[in-house]
Amino acid sequence: MAANMYRVGDYVYFETSSSTPYQIRRIEELIKTPNGNVEAKVMCYYRRRDISSNLISLADKHQSVVEELEKSKDKEIDQAKESANKETKDPVKDPARDPIQEAPKVLASLSEKERHQLKHRELFLSRQMETLPATAIRGKCQVTLLNETETLGSYLHKDDAFFYSLVYDPAQKTLLADKGEIRVGSKYQAEVPPWVAPSDRSPSPEIERDTLTYSPDHGLDDKTIDQFLVICRSVGTFARALDCSSSVKQPSLHMSAAAASRDATLFHAMDVLHRQNYDISKALCSLVPTSGPVLCRDEMEEWSASEANLFEEALERYGKDFNDIRADFLPWKSLKSIVDYYYMWKTTDRYVQQKRVKAVEAEFKLKQVYIPNYNKNESSLSNLSSSRLCESCYTSTSGQWYSWGPAHMQCRLCSLCWPYWKKYGGLKFPTKMEAVGSVDLSTTGNGATLIPSASSSARGLPAAALVGLPSPNPGVPPLGAAANLALVQQLATMKDGPCRCPMCGKEFKQKAHLVRHCITNHGLNMNLPTAATPNPCMPLSLMRSSSPRPIVKTRAAFYLHTTPQTKQLRRQCKAIIKPRHAARNPFSSVDLATIRLEMQTKPLVGIVPKKMKNRGHVVDVSHRLGMPQIPKPEFLLPTPPEKMYKAFPEAFPHKASLKRAAAQDAAIAAKRLALQSDFSNTPVPANLSVASVPAAAIKSTRKHIGNWNPTQGNQPDDQFFKATSSIKKVRKTKLSLLQIRRFARRATKYAFNMNKPNLAP
Amino acid sequence: MATNIQHSKKRVCYYYDGDIGNYYYGQGHPMKPHRMRMTHNLILNYGLYRRMEIYRPHKATQEEMTKYHSDEYIRFLRSIRPDNMSEYNKFMQKFNVGEDCPVFDGLYEFCQLSTGGSVAGAVKLNKQATDIAVNWSGGLHHAKKSEASGFCYVNDIVLAILELLKYHQRVLYIDIDVHHGDGVEEAFYTTDRVMTVSFHKYGEYFPGTGDLRDIGAGKGKYYAVNFPLRDGIDDEQYTEAVFKPLMTKVMEMYQPSAVVLQCGADSLSGDRLGCFNLTLKGHGRCVEFMRKFNVPLLQLGGGGYTIRNVSRCWTYETAVALGVEIANELPYNDYFEYFGPDFKLHISPSNMANQNSPEYVDKIRTRLFENLRMLPHAPSVQMQTTPEDAIDTDKAKAEDDEAADSGKNDEQRISIRHSEKRVANEEEFSDSEDEGSGQRRDMRTHKPKRHKKGSQGGDTEDTSDAKTEPDTKEEKADAKA
Repeated sequence: MAANMYRVGDYVYFETSSSTPYQIRRIEELIKTPNGNVEAKVMCYYRRRDISSNLISLADKHQSVVEELEKSKDKEIDQAKESANKETKDPVKDPARDPIQEAPKVLASLSEKERHQLKHRELFLSRQMETLPATAIRGKCQVTLLNETETLGSYLHKDDAFFYSLVYDPAQKTLLADKGEIRVGSKYQAEVPPWVAPSDRSPSPEIERDTLTYSPDHGLDDKTIDQFLVICRSVGTFARALDCSSSVKQPSLHMSAAAASRDATLFHAMDVLHRQNYDISKALCSLVPTSGPVLCRDEMEEWSASEANLFEEALERYGKDFNDIRADFLPWKSLKSIVDYYYMWKTTDRYVQQKRVKAVEAEFKLKQVYIPNYNKNESSLSNLSSSRLCESCYTSTSGQWYSWGPAHMQCRLCSLCWPYWKKYGGLKFPTKMEAVGSVDLSTTGNGATLIPSASSSARGLPAAALVGLPSPNPGVPPLGAAANLALVQQLATMKDGPCRCPMCGKEFKQKAHLVRHCITNHGLNMNLPTAATPNPCMPLSLMRSSSPRPIVKTRAAFYLHTTPQTKQLRRQCKAIIKPRHAARNPFSSVDLATIRLEMQTKPLVGIVPKKMKNRGHVVDVSHRLGMPQIPKPEFLLPTPPEKMYKAFPEAFPHKASLKRAAAQDAAIAAKRLALQSDFSNTPVPANLSVASVPAAAIKSTRKHIGNWNPTQGNQPDDQFFKATSSIKKVRKTKLSLLQIRRFARRATKYAFNMNKPNLAP
Repeated sequence: MATNIQHSKKRVCYYYDGDIGNYYYGQGHPMKPHRMRMTHNLILNYGLYRRMEIYRPHKATQEEMTKYHSDEYIRFLRSIRPDNMSEYNKFMQKFNVGEDCPVFDGLYEFCQLSTGGSVAGAVKLNKQATDIAVNWSGGLHHAKKSEASGFCYVNDIVLAILELLKYHQRVLYIDIDVHHGDGVEEAFYTTDRVMTVSFHKYGEYFPGTGDLRDIGAGKGKYYAVNFPLRDGIDDEQYTEAVFKPLMTKVMEMYQPSAVVLQCGADSLSGDRLGCFNLTLKGHGRCVEFMRKFNVPLLQLGGGGYTIRNVSRCWTYETAVALGVEIANELPYNDYFEYFGPDFKLHISPSNMANQNSPEYVDKIRTRLFENLRMLPHAPSVQMQTTPEDAIDTDKAKAEDDEAADSGKNDEQRISIRHSEKRVANEEEFSDSEDEGSGQRRDMRTHKPKRHKKGSQGGDTEDTSDAKTEPDTKEEKADAKA
């Protein structure tokens, strides 16, 4: 029960997506929304995997340098302050605290696995706040500032324990140490006065620094003082009875007595006692001077009812801005008396009303919230039967399997490793897939070195086999398979933002721009994950965003290079890919897993002959060896320039033909326009719509047509008519064969009304 | 209401100005000077008032304040008012006045009163006219030499310590506020005549300083001690595992002749800004512990933003200073309604998690002990080498050697067991019957005396502990009832 109670200040896991690891947040505020939901205002903590790798590597690298510097300089426990001061210019300030590098000797004692897992325990605090629904809370964890006296191992042995030492600024992309500084210099330190030996102490000129108002060194015992206080109160009661303003305010004797018992009277009594040198009789006399009994009233009593009302009204209007209250409502009161009155007013019943308002407010600000354990079936629960091992621990048996990583990879985790992945954002064991799991692109190099070992291992992935696809941009070295995959995956999930590649970080407003940037500048190969598919369509990962429109403009940026491997694959897995079917259905997905399996299990069938440029048969060439007089066959001769094909420029084009061409074009355009508008204006049944690839919405198609100027011959790009099954049905049922043939021959001649297909000519 | 049960009586001077409660930082500001007034009223109604000397401090002068602060800064504080703020924009930025430290009516007077009380207390201690001086209006430990910070404008603590330093060779400053005492630490960062010890929440918390590795600089190296803590520390751990062992060690190694204790009450459970889980008992036990050393003690306020608990705490600690026991039932007073619904003195801790593991605290403590071992025994300048002192330093050396011999390898030296052994026998400094009548010795003779006491100490301490134990049980029963 208590474990499910979440309070302000708790560190919690938040689930924002079923496939990604939990986010770690600290609850700053719990707010009940008017519709009864609870929202949590939270502080964000970032994992290593959430932070651009160059920043992390910078921090790590910097750390090791400082470490050495420090070691050589200072061997004591003391940490040289100067070295910390030096780094102020760097984006990573005082990196002396990055724990991974912090204690090399401690690290050395850790196994590789532990070191790997430790990386999952490091967080970066950010000052970023966000609001999340409290129902997404998935448990508690603990985040502490790493202290160098702690062994890092202690975090590994505790569940849900994380540490942080640096603060990440998501806007500035910097890591800073969360640390203030004690400054040294005459501007900051006090000048310490010299010590004066007792013998040298001259009786310094007495400066009056205080006034004694009460001293316990008197002959009176407690009882006497108490008695004196009672007398003071009774004098006060009597004084109130005499005072006409008071008698109006305190109509009953009880009230007068209560007013006379307030602390003001008591303080006065103590003062009197002190002033009369603790002589009770003198003190009593001074309580009742000839002018009448002494009346001590505090602000509470001093204020009239109308003043109190004014004050309450003002408080309602201005809040506790007493300066304004004084200026606008109670100018005859001093600020001090208003403040004094305010704190006393809070003890009155009238304050209760205010309190009630506060209580209502407080209801919306919860102190704690109960979130039951989350045990809905997780969407990532994989029910595919597959023979794949757990990506993390390589186990083959598990009660439940969870699909992990990009869908087409078909990777999965066992029921033990899955919670680990969710909580710590990594796999238990360092594997090559780690690079996929995390978006740590700094592993580009690692990815490359990992791949040979991966392919040699029994678990070799086809990803490794697919490596080496040349990038579309020859100048840019291609990314390693793992890094590439990671980037693709990342691009698929993010909407926009900076490029996450090392040393880049450019901002892009649109995802498409970012993708293009990655392709051109970082050698991203979008085809890699789907290179096995024989169809030259967009890889699925790129189509994942809500619009079916390709992210990359096809004409300009798309280029599929089919490598020998891919060709090989196509050939070998013909049965699975079904090229004919795929060609007809370019958007249907291809089962990569089975292909991969096929590639792993079956021996290579043979190398695909490379399609060569026709250079003639070898025999033809070899026949001529050493026989220069033999005339060269035509195919060996370079084409003479005059024979090169040249477009014949029509110097004076025939006007009639031009006109005809233009008229024809215009007719086509008009026809299409008519056809389109016909579709859009008449209520077309939804299943009878025209699908055009660049935009699903007809509206945008219209726009395209409007822009298209037929006289320039500038075709709208990427347009084709897709006959949906319903259209096909219409064709079959509503049109006669004759009609279809006629339409086919003269596509533009006949207008066709979809609503009344039978009325067509 | 207050009953005198404590073994030793001490003279206590209490500084309070009736005006202090009516300064107002502004709407929504957590710092509420009115808490001093609430404390004062509780003190009166508990009958503590009549047991101590009550003083109204005089306002500190500009001259006094510039003993530490820069002239320009104090001039600025003196001249700025809410109605002329716009003319001082540049300075406000420079001196960090505006947001956390707003300009309010009577700002300068407020600083004068709080400083006046602390400095007057220090003077009183210097004159040996009292054993303990209390100024709840003081303890504004964040103020810097020419900069306001964390609701503090003038650092009354630094000024009071400077006053003490005239008569005392070594002054110890202890800070149990939940925030780091950065202003005081900075002021005395490079001197060995003041040791600053601060126990505070560290990490993602104001003011960001107070790392374990901040130990002072130059001559002051090892004379700044910082105990970084995490959220939710409770009474037991705070006093037994943190405060007492460390302070015992510090007192042994540093042997201050005066102690300044900043009793910021924001380390209490349920504070508006704090995040510890202490109750009055744990907080007060620190005061009680320091009181037992029989060293002139200046007790100051500080943070504390849940004002009903602040006034509870400081009332209780006034009683602790006086060595009297006060009832858990709160007496009626002007602010009685604030203490509902239970109207009890003591507060109960919350059920928040304690993020300080025993291992963590042990490790930090061990590290701090290592630092303290770097201190020369009884440091700072000896103005005259009297025979006694010579003996003393020899003795100290011998002790050092012994310590070095006993723990030849470092591992052994820092073992928990070892450190706990130290803890055990270090109660030797506490109170015993022969002192406390008010004739405090001059510090030169005071120190060797201490050592002698140490050698035969244990017994007296045990008895006093045995005495206090039933009392605390009674309190618990009260709290339950």
